[in-house]
Amino acid sequence: MNHSNRKAQDLLHTPEGVRDSYGRENTAKQQTINKIMEQIRLYGYKDLQTPSFEYFDVFSNEIGTTPSRELFKFFDKEGDTLVLRPDFTPAVARCVAKYFMEEKEPLRFCYQGSTFSNTTNLQGRRKETTQMGAELMNDGGPQADGEMISMLIECLLAAGLSEFQISVGNVEYFKGLCEHLSMDGETEMMLRDEISGKNYFAAEDLLKSEGYDRSQRDLFLQIRDFMETPAELEAALMTAPNERAKKAMQRLIDVWNVVDAYGFSEYISFDLSLLSKYHYYTGIIFKGFTYGTGEPIASGGRYDQLLGYFGKKAPAIGCMIPIDPLMEAMERQHLIDVQEPEIHKIYYHEGNYAAALKEARMSRLAGFRTVLLPGTGIGS
Amino acid sequence: MNDYITIALTKGRLANRTMELLGKAGYYCEEMNEKGSRKLIFTNEEQKLRFFLAKGPDVPTYVEYGAADIGVVGSDIILEENRRVYEVLDLGFGKCRMCVCGPEKARELLQHHEMIRVTTKYPNIAREYFFNRKHQTVDIIKLNGSVELGPIVDLGDVIVDIVETGSTLKENGLMVLEEVCGISARMIVNQVSMQMKTRRVREIIRNVRDCLE
Repeated sequence: MNHSNRKAQDLLHTPEGVRDSYGRENTAKQQTINKIMEQIRLYGYKDLQTPSFEYFDVFSNEIGTTPSRELFKFFDKEGDTLVLRPDFTPAVARCVAKYFMEEKEPLRFCYQGSTFSNTTNLQGRRKETTQMGAELMNDGGPQADGEMISMLIECLLAAGLSEFQISVGNVEYFKGLCEHLSMDGETEMMLRDEISGKNYFAAEDLLKSEGYDRSQRDLFLQIRDFMETPAELEAALMTAPNERAKKAMQRLIDVWNVVDAYGFSEYISFDLSLLSKYHYYTGIIFKGFTYGTGEPIASGGRYDQLLGYFGKKAPAIGCMIPIDPLMEAMERQHLIDVQEPEIHKIYYHEGNYAAALKEARMSRLAGFRTVLLPGTGIGS
Repeated sequence: MNDYITIALTKGRLANRTMELLGKAGYYCEEMNEKGSRKLIFTNEEQKLRFFLAKGPDVPTYVEYGAADIGVVGSDIILEENRRVYEVLDLGFGKCRMCVCGPEKARELLQHHEMIRVTTKYPNIAREYFFNRKHQTVDIIKLNGSVELGPIVDLGDVIVDIVETGSTLKENGLMVLEEVCGISARMIVNQVSMQMKTRRVREIIRNVRDCLE
């Protein structure tokens, strides 16, 4: 191999964590994106595009999104820190606060695009992922929660998935328990990490070391039980220790009723230990799971404070589907059945170019994918 | 394969202890006891269980990606690998300690925030301990075995490693200087399995937990 050839070979690599998408895989991905976006649009959501990068403050710690060291950061000529978006929600919230500050009617927006996170090498995690999502702002009711979850279920069904579960929780329940025990902020954060990792023995140790007695500890340990029926939710409502926790349970029951009215209650179950790494979530929170991938294939929740950071006091809820784990799961479940679209070939030579061109244009007008190729088409 | 629960075990002593515990909880696998077998995966058709053995650091990887629903592995590996898995049970065996060790004269180096060199198999645990808990700047040198050599041949000042009995340390003139954390075997579960195979996974966790109490 000569020198210039070797140099060209080096240029072929993409950095770790990003990749090319082409051929059948890309066709399947684009088709799935289209199916899902169409479904979201059927609910009256309008497309919105925000920039790929924003000022650092939009995604800072205070907002509660991705940890700062996992952000791709760079500087502009003025020395401001810019960040490639790790997540759409804060950017959409900023955009809506800016252009719809006075609007009181519910607002529905959807988006799709790449998000970026600077995660550790060699763990097989992507640094650029395509996400699709929807945000419903100015609506704080359980109907909005139910709509978001039901729409998400319909999107996954539209994509071709049939075996999946949406786990629904309510951050308020956990906060209610913390309030009941007058827990300080730092302990609450530590407990949150342990419980969201389902690490109940570590949670129990932590509570023990903070001096909580058995019955107080059991309050937290109870939340490890999954619930599926409204009756189980009612039972949890009865044992909720304070008003805040009771309200949180009641909200879950209301949401179950809405999702049931849509006819999708079989797809949801309740998990009170569900808490997000995104700290901007304030109420209902959910994650979607299916076979064939170790990552959630959907997530979302209510974030009633987030718009406030940008000066607009409004409740909001959103959901997000990361397309890559979804496609991975569908591939493993043998649900991907795409043919690359057929492309008509029309050949020309010097003498007949005008006629060949005319034929190609007619073919394209008729809606066929058509290419013009030099030669005769024989022997190729 | 969705009918089966797949369990990844850490090769060696931990695997034997785990099978003993699972046996008490009513789960077993005859195939694993066959001498001289070259099988990589062992199945119990009756209970719809599959088992395989893996190197410790790979167990959380198998579980994160859903190649195994459940895994049993030392908490040192969980801390070091930092995988997205649920850590559901402390199995109480395989107990040891993660420690900072070195020669007696190195004790002084840990008192101040001065720069020291640390050799270890666990760079993430070492970094987390020195940076976030001791606020000491350190150079971390990753080694793949016989970490005790580090201070002896002057590659590093101290080591961060697992200590069981401390006899290897003593033979080489080293001692425990500080304890980072306790270590024991843990049961970990894939996030998706926890939701999609809820009943079976939780039944296993419950039965095993009952044997621990």
